Amino acid sequence: MNEPLNIVILGGGTAGWMAAAGLVSLIPPGRCRVRLVESEEIGIVGVGEATFPEIKNFNDAIGVDEAEMMRATQAAFKLGIEFVDWGFEGSRYIHPFGVHGPANMAHIFHHLWVRARQLGLNSDIEDYSFAAQAARSCRFELPDAHRPAINSAYTYAYHFDAGLYSRYLRGLAEGRGVIRTEGKVQRVAQDPETGDISSLELESGETISGDLFIDCSGFRSLLLGETLGAGWEDWSKWLVCDRALAVPSERDELSPYTRSTAMEAGWRWRIPLQHRTGNGYVFSSHFIDDDEAASSLLRSLETKAVGEPRLLKFQSGRRVVNWKNNCVAVGLASGFLEPLESTSIYLVQIAIMQLIPLLPSKTVDPRLRDEFNRLMDLQYERIRDFLILHYKLTSRDDAEIWRYCAAMEVPDSLTRKIELFRHSGIIERYREGLFTPISWLSVFTGQGLIPESYSPLADATPDEKLVAQMDQFRSDLRDRAEEMLPHDRFIDRYCNAQSAAAVEARP
Amino acid sequence: MKRRVEQVVVVGADAPVWMTAAAIYSSFGRGVRLRVVELPSHLRPVDVYSTLPPLAGLHNRLGLDEALLFSVCKAVPVAGQRFSNWSGAGAPFIRGHDDSPPVGGGDLSFSQLWIKGRQQGLRTAFENFSPGAMAAKAGRVPIPTERAELRSAYGYGLDAAAYTALLKHFVTGGGVESKSATIADVERDGDFISAIVLADGERIEADLFVDASGPQAVLIGRMPGTEFESWREWLPCDRMLLASGNALRPYPGFSQISAFGQGWVGLFPLQDRTAIAAVFDSREISAKDLLDKLPVLAGLPIAGEAVVSNLAPGIRQRTWVGNCVAVGESAFSLDPLDAAQLHIAHTCISHLMTLFPVEAAAFPEAELYDEIIRRTAVNLRDFQAAHYKLNRRFDDPLWDRCRDTAAPQTLQRKLDIFAARGRIPLYDDETFQEHDWESLFIGHGLIPQSYDPRVDAVSDQDQIAAVNRRLQDIVELVGAMPTIDQFLSCSPAPELTEVAHDA
Repeated sequence: MNEPLNIVILGGGTAGWMAAAGLVSLIPPGRCRVRLVESEEIGIVGVGEATFPEIKNFNDAIGVDEAEMMRATQAAFKLGIEFVDWGFEGSRYIHPFGVHGPANMAHIFHHLWVRARQLGLNSDIEDYSFAAQAARSCRFELPDAHRPAINSAYTYAYHFDAGLYSRYLRGLAEGRGVIRTEGKVQRVAQDPETGDISSLELESGETISGDLFIDCSGFRSLLLGETLGAGWEDWSKWLVCDRALAVPSERDELSPYTRSTAMEAGWRWRIPLQHRTGNGYVFSSHFIDDDEAASSLLRSLETKAVGEPRLLKFQSGRRVVNWKNNCVAVGLASGFLEPLESTSIYLVQIAIMQLIPLLPSKTVDPRLRDEFNRLMDLQYERIRDFLILHYKLTSRDDAEIWRYCAAMEVPDSLTRKIELFRHSGIIERYREGLFTPISWLSVFTGQGLIPESYSPLADATPDEKLVAQMDQFRSDLRDRAEEMLPHDRFIDRYCNAQSAAAVEARP
Repeated sequence: MKRRVEQVVVVGADAPVWMTAAAIYSSFGRGVRLRVVELPSHLRPVDVYSTLPPLAGLHNRLGLDEALLFSVCKAVPVAGQRFSNWSGAGAPFIRGHDDSPPVGGGDLSFSQLWIKGRQQGLRTAFENFSPGAMAAKAGRVPIPTERAELRSAYGYGLDAAAYTALLKHFVTGGGVESKSATIADVERDGDFISAIVLADGERIEADLFVDASGPQAVLIGRMPGTEFESWREWLPCDRMLLASGNALRPYPGFSQISAFGQGWVGLFPLQDRTAIAAVFDSREISAKDLLDKLPVLAGLPIAGEAVVSNLAPGIRQRTWVGNCVAVGESAFSLDPLDAAQLHIAHTCISHLMTLFPVEAAAFPEAELYDEIIRRTAVNLRDFQAAHYKLNRRFDDPLWDRCRDTAAPQTLQRKLDIFAARGRIPLYDDETFQEHDWESLFIGHGLIPQSYDPRVDAVSDQDQIAAVNRRLQDIVELVGAMPTIDQFLSCSPAPELTEVAHDA
């Protein structure tokens, strides 16, 4: 048996503790030893409080008890994202975590909808999404995977306090054998020949050596960027926002969705948790200054602010490689995409889950490294294009940022996607990458792009029957959504963070 | 108001032209006016179509009763393909038509457990863990099972002429206009075909022209920018010698694919004969010399005529230009390995249905179709090229050359990652899935150097239990499957007239 691989994680934010918990939970101790170095003096970027449904796969894989985790992180459920004033002023649409139409018609449903609209049907695509309807009526129950019914055709994610989530994972990871070292890195020692990182020298004088280093140092990218010099690819010409102001406010309605509202120089998030509501304004410093943005954010709050807005600066883009030498960057050290579609934690998760099966031995096998980098390229680029879509597809001309975005040149791959959807509702599919045709459909139509035509495969049903069927499905969906518990009552029963009795009440 | 695509002409011969027509007719009914121009057939009595399981999906959508394939096309269901003599002294292996990847717990593929087991002394061949391969070995027919990880399916050997006639009957019985003819001229206006002119002088206009004419590419070949790109570098065989022998009894549950010095010879079981295809490199042996050797290579006497045809694996630079779209071998050609021939037409047809154009003046679907078809073709080519690349027949010039030629980069990545870690990087538009590639690579002797570290989280005891349980499950499952004879005798023989449906 070979000696276990010594893995050193630098940084203890969400990325660091997810990596630590993932590695220690999925790989037995005989194969790897995990150490994590973090400093309490260095702040944690806690922007990503909204997640994507994939997070549940990660939690399940590492053996997280959902209700326990939700209690520990003040978590609430999330069935999608509501976009307000994107596309055009006054628009509202939900990008849901679930199919539109009957689950067995997913490939053709939106073509039927386009056809029905041409016949005079007045409806939005979200009217046929159970997740969207449940979100709109502020209701929630767990999907029942064993019943092939309407209410199995959705998934869900969480809103949680990312700081509490890392703390929760830290407890789990340390309990399973991860060694944590408090300290700041003073020097990174490298092999003079290969350039591989050999150890981290801390201010305390301690030296931490390892075989594989995972850079979770955040924007600074201390190992991958600063030490190994991995280049930066700038995407800010497409994703122009470069600042965020974040401020919590007192709890208000516990809606089971994230809200993203387009603003004069960016957009504002609203993320309801059990104990408070997270708010933030992501904006471009080219179009508004920090003070103006802060007052705009505070004015827009629905409940009283708790504390002062906190400013973050960033640039959209990524390191051209995420794995170089014996160093893999995870999270912000590998790149940044704004939290418009709650992808930050997903990118952390996918990096960890793609690293584990390709985990090297003491010497890095370049074949495994190249494959990891190829997979991460696909993830980043496909999310990037999907985010750009939100900005590009706008008819707003009331602010400079929207005029800029509507006119900007976007990657050719995205232009074609838009044109094919406009032409006849065609949505390209891909294997690797987070966003499925459901997501593309939601944003296309939600931002006002209705296909001019539809697939002739949708012509099979006679006209009258089609409209009647669409109406019937919509009303069945609403009825079923109304049968569910209000979201806040479900939370009280399932995972109330305040109530010790919640354990007994679990269904 | 834009003008919709209303007039569609399909030009071609043999099964692909009727498959295309049937798909368009059954998908769009009277929404389009469909006409078929049937070119002279290339089929001879010895021809065979060897098919993959997904073809059943097309038949279901068309409403074509499977029983007709058995009664009319003399089909024998086969659950796999057996490869022998590809690696010198190496053992033959069967690649089963499994439905879903074996599950080794969580998202680990079963192969990961096998790789570790092998490092610890497990000597059971990988094919024993494939329900399709074991069904094939036992001459049995896969049946549905609740357990997804144990599902397998079957393809067919079909008499090509009978299958073509059946499809034609099905299409023309539905009222689709068709005419036997040859093309005298294609009238073009830039990137668009305005009309085709038949040898008898008839001029046919349409909004969309579908070229299902095979390698001749009678329409797409005349369009600008459709030069043919050869893949002979990786798929070296350029000739096929086709013949028949007597039916093998009892029916084997697999097609037999045996390599020899200058190519490979395939035996495809049918009910009334065995189709024999010798695929070879004409630089290495003449058809005449091969014919002399054929009874020995095939291991059975040749009955009746033998015919030679040309093969040219490769792809057109563009497969949809203006209002002309290529389906089947007019778009790309492959080696006859892995039952690819009809699958080429099938996959093109499926994508054409999803991307069926809606507007007669502009076809923005073309670029996407072209990309998808190219990716599909490249992935299929790589699957076939792996057979050649991984051969271990030393001192045969053809096979030495195949090993020495650098693999396409897309394939090399698969080989590399698999060799390193037993994982298969799958790309967009893959016909073959992870478990197909695994059994291909392992069968040809590519054994991964290491495995997914998560496997070590399974205790040795649980690991051995999981391996044994799967073996046992498969033995039980296969034992419950009917033999091919039992299966065929249970299949009712409907009258051919039944396919004539309401027009």
